[in-house]
Amino acid sequence: MGVTCVCQVPVAEGKSVQQTVDMLHKKLEQLGAVKQGSFWVDCETYHATGNTSGQPSKLLYVMHNSETPLSCMALFEGGPCLTADVNFDVLMLKLKSHFQNAKGHKVESRGTRYRYCDFLVKVGAVTMSSSARGISVEVEYCACVVPGDCWNLIKEFMQSFLGANVPELPSVFATKSEGLYAPSDCMDTMTQYLELFSKVRKQQVIPGASVR
Amino acid sequence: MEAPPVTVMPVTGGAINMMEYLLQGSVLDQALDSLLHRLRGLCDNIEPETFADHELVYLLKGQQGQPFLLRARRSLSHPAAPWHLRYLGQPEVGDKSRHALVRNCVDVAASHSLPDFLNEMGFRMDHEFVAKGHVFRKGTMKVVVSKLSRVLVPGNTENTEQLSLSSLVELSVLAPAGQDTVSEDMRAFAEQLKPLVHLEKIDPKKHT
Repeated sequence: MGVTCVCQVPVAEGKSVQQTVDMLHKKLEQLGAVKQGSFWVDCETYHATGNTSGQPSKLLYVMHNSETPLSCMALFEGGPCLTADVNFDVLMLKLKSHFQNAKGHKVESRGTRYRYCDFLVKVGAVTMSSSARGISVEVEYCACVVPGDCWNLIKEFMQSFLGANVPELPSVFATKSEGLYAPSDCMDTMTQYLELFSKVRKQQVIPGASVR
Repeated sequence: MEAPPVTVMPVTGGAINMMEYLLQGSVLDQALDSLLHRLRGLCDNIEPETFADHELVYLLKGQQGQPFLLRARRSLSHPAAPWHLRYLGQPEVGDKSRHALVRNCVDVAASHSLPDFLNEMGFRMDHEFVAKGHVFRKGTMKVVVSKLSRVLVPGNTENTEQLSLSSLVELSVLAPAGQDTVSEDMRAFAEQLKPLVHLEKIDPKKHT
């Protein structure tokens, strides 16, 4: 697990989500990247029932990543997070009277995985209830675990196929106080996906953007 | 760095409903060594395996019905190992002649942020204890002989007080639902431990 950056790429002017994704694939292939299978990241939302204090009920996000198929990541936005095995999903089923699954809020990003030397690039179409809502790009620099040391290199690499759409330093790295070390689990990556999915949920549906 | 291409759906082993079959008993400390000796002879282990665990029991009080109970266990002898979170369902009410207590069981391995995470979910710790003892295996059966101690100061596992002058003996099997021969095999094994320890089906409801 190297330093990973997840960002949202706007849909190209006059094009659909799929067309923009295809354009990005072409640029990556021109650079010399090699296709290496597919990936998916999903996020389910649960909200606590039985909240008597009148405050808005806490949202629990349960995420999965195809890179770690036997794991489950559970997060509270801005709160503690947990890495567990896939039986955590079964446990959430048992807890259904206390935590309800907001099925319509499930967000997924699916797409192709590319490898370019020490970089792993994943370009995905973000969908919510079968409608395409945006594009996510994840770039992992596998050779380094210290964000401070390789951020400029990652940014330069992203510029070569994203052009002007390069993001700023992800907030997960900016908030690390000691030494900016990325942990060996993928919690930083999942936090970035969660931020992206939350943004996508709030955005309006792109007209004519059905996946089919 | 060659990562395998991920083109297939991941293994989701959580779809199968696992059941725990359980028989419990106790043995006075004076007879503990004889029991361990007999178990060493009957079971598969070459070297007896010891353990020292700290278990915290969490409750989530809902609007109605019984509180939801979860058991979070960590190893004191392997502090870096993941936490083990366990949910045990209500005992299956069925065949009275079934020899073991059968209940639905969900086991989850979790990272070290588990206590904070459970608190955020709304769970509150009800009680905690330390269990130290031996584990034996025979095929799919697991025999755990443990000495339970009360934790006097919350969170401090050094300062404990033994709960009694006996050790708890548990014979359990984790199997998918519907395997009825399991409790027969357990009863046969339990026979071999008599008269050192009498393992029985104990109804947890009678002891709350």
